[in-house]
Amino acid sequence: MNAPASLPAAGTAPRLRIAVDIGGTFTDGIAEESGTGRIWVGKCLTTPADPGEGVSEVIAQLLDKMAADGERVEEVVHGTTLVTNTLIERRGAPTGLVVTKGTRDTLDIAREVRYDLYDLRLELPEPLVPGEARAEVGARMDRTGAEITPLDEAMVEAVADAIGAMGVSAVAVCLLHAYVNEAHEEALGKALAARFPDLAISLSSRVAREIREYERMSTTSANAYVQPLVRDYLNALGERIGGAGIAGLLRIMLSSGGFTSAEAAADTPILLLESGPAAGVISALNTGIEAGFDTILAFDMGGTTAKACVATGGAPDIAHTFEAARVKRFKKGSGLPILIPSIDLIEIGAGGGSIATIDALGLLKVGPRSAGSVPGPAAYGRGGEEATVTDADLVLGYLDANSFLGGEMSLRTDLAEAALGRLGARLGLSVTEVAAGIADIVNENMAAAARVHIAEKGLDPRAFTMVATGGAGPVHAVEVARRLRVRRLLCPIAAGAGSCLGLLAAPPRVDRAWSKPTLLEALDWDEVTAMLSGLRVDAETELTSASADLGAIAWSVLIEMRYAGQGSVISITLPYDEIASRPVAAMRESFEAAYRDLYGNTVPNARIEVVTWRLTGQSGVESRRFSWAEGRGGGAATPKAHREVYLPAERRFASAPVYDRYALPPGTRLDGPVILEERESTLVVPLTAAVEILPDLAVCVDFGEPA
Amino acid sequence: MSRNDLDPVTLEILWTRLVSAVDEASAAFVRTSFSTLVREANDFAVVLTDKEGRSVAQSSMSIPSFIGTLPATVKHFIRHFPPETLAPGDVLITNDPWMGTGHIHDITVVMPIFRDGSIHGYAAVTSHMPDIGGRLRSSGTREIFEEGLQIPMLKLVRAGVVDDTVVAFISQNVRVPEQTMGDVWGEVAACRMLEGRLNELLDDSGLDLDRLSGEIRGRSEAAMRAAVAALPDGDYRYRLEHDGFEERIVIQNRVEIRGDRVHIDYTGTSEQLPRSVNTVPIYTFAYTAFGVKALLSPDIPNNEGSFLPISTSAPEGTILNPRYPAASGARGMIGHLLPVAFMAALADVLPDRVMAPGSANSSFTMAGEDEGRRYATANFLNAGQGAFADRDGLSVVSFPSNLGNTPIEVIEAGAPVRVLHRAVRPGSGGGGAHRGGDGLDFAFEFVGDTPAVCSFLMTRLKAAPPGLAGGDPGVVGRLTLNGTDIDPADHWILKKGDRVVMQTAGGGGYGKA
Repeated sequence: MNAPASLPAAGTAPRLRIAVDIGGTFTDGIAEESGTGRIWVGKCLTTPADPGEGVSEVIAQLLDKMAADGERVEEVVHGTTLVTNTLIERRGAPTGLVVTKGTRDTLDIAREVRYDLYDLRLELPEPLVPGEARAEVGARMDRTGAEITPLDEAMVEAVADAIGAMGVSAVAVCLLHAYVNEAHEEALGKALAARFPDLAISLSSRVAREIREYERMSTTSANAYVQPLVRDYLNALGERIGGAGIAGLLRIMLSSGGFTSAEAAADTPILLLESGPAAGVISALNTGIEAGFDTILAFDMGGTTAKACVATGGAPDIAHTFEAARVKRFKKGSGLPILIPSIDLIEIGAGGGSIATIDALGLLKVGPRSAGSVPGPAAYGRGGEEATVTDADLVLGYLDANSFLGGEMSLRTDLAEAALGRLGARLGLSVTEVAAGIADIVNENMAAAARVHIAEKGLDPRAFTMVATGGAGPVHAVEVARRLRVRRLLCPIAAGAGSCLGLLAAPPRVDRAWSKPTLLEALDWDEVTAMLSGLRVDAETELTSASADLGAIAWSVLIEMRYAGQGSVISITLPYDEIASRPVAAMRESFEAAYRDLYGNTVPNARIEVVTWRLTGQSGVESRRFSWAEGRGGGAATPKAHREVYLPAERRFASAPVYDRYALPPGTRLDGPVILEERESTLVVPLTAAVEILPDLAVCVDFGEPA
Repeated sequence: MSRNDLDPVTLEILWTRLVSAVDEASAAFVRTSFSTLVREANDFAVVLTDKEGRSVAQSSMSIPSFIGTLPATVKHFIRHFPPETLAPGDVLITNDPWMGTGHIHDITVVMPIFRDGSIHGYAAVTSHMPDIGGRLRSSGTREIFEEGLQIPMLKLVRAGVVDDTVVAFISQNVRVPEQTMGDVWGEVAACRMLEGRLNELLDDSGLDLDRLSGEIRGRSEAAMRAAVAALPDGDYRYRLEHDGFEERIVIQNRVEIRGDRVHIDYTGTSEQLPRSVNTVPIYTFAYTAFGVKALLSPDIPNNEGSFLPISTSAPEGTILNPRYPAASGARGMIGHLLPVAFMAALADVLPDRVMAPGSANSSFTMAGEDEGRRYATANFLNAGQGAFADRDGLSVVSFPSNLGNTPIEVIEAGAPVRVLHRAVRPGSGGGGAHRGGDGLDFAFEFVGDTPAVCSFLMTRLKAAPPGLAGGDPGVVGRLTLNGTDIDPADHWILKKGDRVVMQTAGGGGYGKA
């Protein structure tokens, strides 16, 4: 990265920010004019061989549309699926691993459980580092971080020799109890860096400072495994951007929904694992906050997968464990555990391509198997024989055969009906009944998953505003919302490039963690404050490199606590400045209150233990309003057509008006049932509800008071 | 539209909601549990039954034994406390092995679900407690009285009022009362949550649980019958040996396939023993049925219907049908052999599907005082599993139970031990056309100033997991203290500097090499 630390001279023309998102099919870009929030959209086919090519193309398109030169661009914000894909496709760098003596097989042994009780022929995930690329070191810490066996010169030499002989380009170091004392890892890291200047080195105490050696080792190995690739990719991208005459900074979206500098991203690339989906959630949140709501259920439904995420108080829920590259899709436990702060998304095997089948009990099931885009749903006419959600949506009148993807692709109703008919014949149901059944089941599957997710957090779905994105999201959102009894639904603009808006709306954010399970009454506060201020200095360095305004950053400490002996933790959050006052009583009170909220009562006579301290620096929540630079919303509120639409609650078809969504001016009010079409999706409102076009052209569907 | 109220679509939707309700309750329980066995190893289950005690939906993540035993426990409770003796707000409790899960370490809590003044169903939770008093769990105990506190079928809560006498008795008899009672209250909270969710669902759908239960059971039963009917009628036998004590223990089964029913009889199995490896009928059935289901129809959901076509029998007084007061704390050592024996009996009928025998889990339990605080810890070790006709067996993985290991860092944080190594035991899997999976090699040093009591459950130290179709047996396991082989059936006092090595067996190979 060769970005200068100071911003380019702005002159009189407004400055610009550009977001670029590389998807499986398209590379999308949005440029925003600072101050006005006006946006321009660019798009091209993704260039898998060299993704940077598509990025250059999109940036050129945007600069051309705005008649601007690169000087005016103050930053380029980027989200990427590179890390996820590298892990799924197993095309990372040859990686070595250094571990404590006696733990060489930890990645093979894992946790010794089967993710499926009944599957005798279980496939387990292959470790990222093979057995022959692992070295052991005799140095040892105990549970308090006290040194039992020191790390001597000979040990360091032996490890370095072993790594040299492996011929790896990345190495992970994960030693027992390094989450309390990192000294041995740091010393090894330093020695390896001195001897092998080009080696990418990941230390577990820096990547994931948490108790549980298998999970920490898995995370550190994954970080090392993707690091060389990510480093090269970000360097190349920086050069592309420079080549487009842009002198601004390159910033990267993190799984936590914040962003960081390209340099910091290259150090801990595993933090980018969920970069793409996180941007989608931030975009949904921004839409909600702009409309005045901060308790949001972000809901996205694409071709194979639906995702849901809960945000309260305008901030998304963050999970600290994640699973990458599952061997069996959607099967919890079948992937590689990754300990990183990540927007807490649930994934459901439900999408437009989800296939309907009849199970061993004669019941209709939908998903998680998907027809993908090839052969795709039967209606695509590409040889798909099985009935999918998209086929059902077409027959129910939710999709229009001729305006799918803006009319670029026409759907074959006859083929959809034939596929549904074959299934119906086996169930004794008509084509319409099967189609309505598929829609019902896929909607219930998504609602059930969201319901359990919301309940695990001790929240009530009726308090939420749902924001729907993705190609199939707006088609199914109203029915999912009705099942969850949420009050209203929002559909943001630019569903197809929604991640880009999220990239533009994301605040700078940085996270650090430190684990040391200690009884609340026995905390060594000198140690705690020293550790937290050390983490803060480190975090500020990262924020500065991302050119964030340190004055605007709010610092908070999330503290994970439990009753000593329990396994799960409950989090409480305190402002950073309160830590200096050693707030034992406040911590106890907050913990007990949170425990009571979740489980009804506290545990008498149990002792409270503090497990992990998590420091977060983030700029305050504020929404950004985006508006189309090229005329939209300038038409009149007249339907372009009427069509027959299936109303699930009444189990019948009725005629509903169909509008071109972007012809409707802000302030337009419509009544459901109604259909609003845009290029990438269709909002289906198959019931009575008040529909309104908001000032930012988002659509709001209000269901009234919950039942 | 002619979709009737329980067609294949509606039923699927209502069932999805029922299962998610049970899963919500189990998520809440896991979060509050003090037991490492619950958290790390899913050693618990939540079930919803209809008013006859027939299981309708069970938690997705739980160990196989409870899937078979928990509904039976509810039926025992209904016999003991008929509906007219129950009131809203009542909560029932027991840990009777014959009524419950086969050993006293699991406490089961059952709550009737009332609607409009009558019982519509029952919520039940069973879970392995952090401690139940008595001697530490070991295979050497001779009678149930040594194993800890027995809780007969009692009311823990009467119409919403806690029976303090019951609580006082339990608290006085266990080592970590706040944790054991904490888990019991967690079970009660999970039952209440399940009740709330069920009532919401019934309010929404206007449906009656009996009809829904009947439809789900009927379909599951038909599917299981079809899976059994696909096998040729006949009697199939297998004889499996276990280490035993003074002499080997023999499990002899006879699998009778008759049309769409399968019966497994255990005549010829060893007599019950004055040791804790006795396996009560409720547990014998649960693990046999698990083997049937895993081999024949893994995708059929767990409920009463899917188990109806399966039955088991064993002569009274044998190790698979022992008389009171037999000890049963280590019943898993015998019960875990039953699915493997079932599959081996069908080796010639389903050669391309069966798995050769492997080894079940081992464990060690330790209790003592460290830096002024009492601790009690239990940790599992898994072993190699058997090979198939077309692939090698899995190394170091739990089967047929699903008990995970505890991270080394967590073990060391909880007890004064230093783990020396946890490694795959190379070459321990049996040879063959396909090799059995390898076992585990685990060693630790005791580093506490105060000596501690340690007990072990080790299996396959003498009788190796046999191969199938000409495959070799796996290598047997081993237990040593300071380099000397020791008897896992005894309790051992560990002093500072003592070193324990536990090696688990490899799985059997398949086919001639």
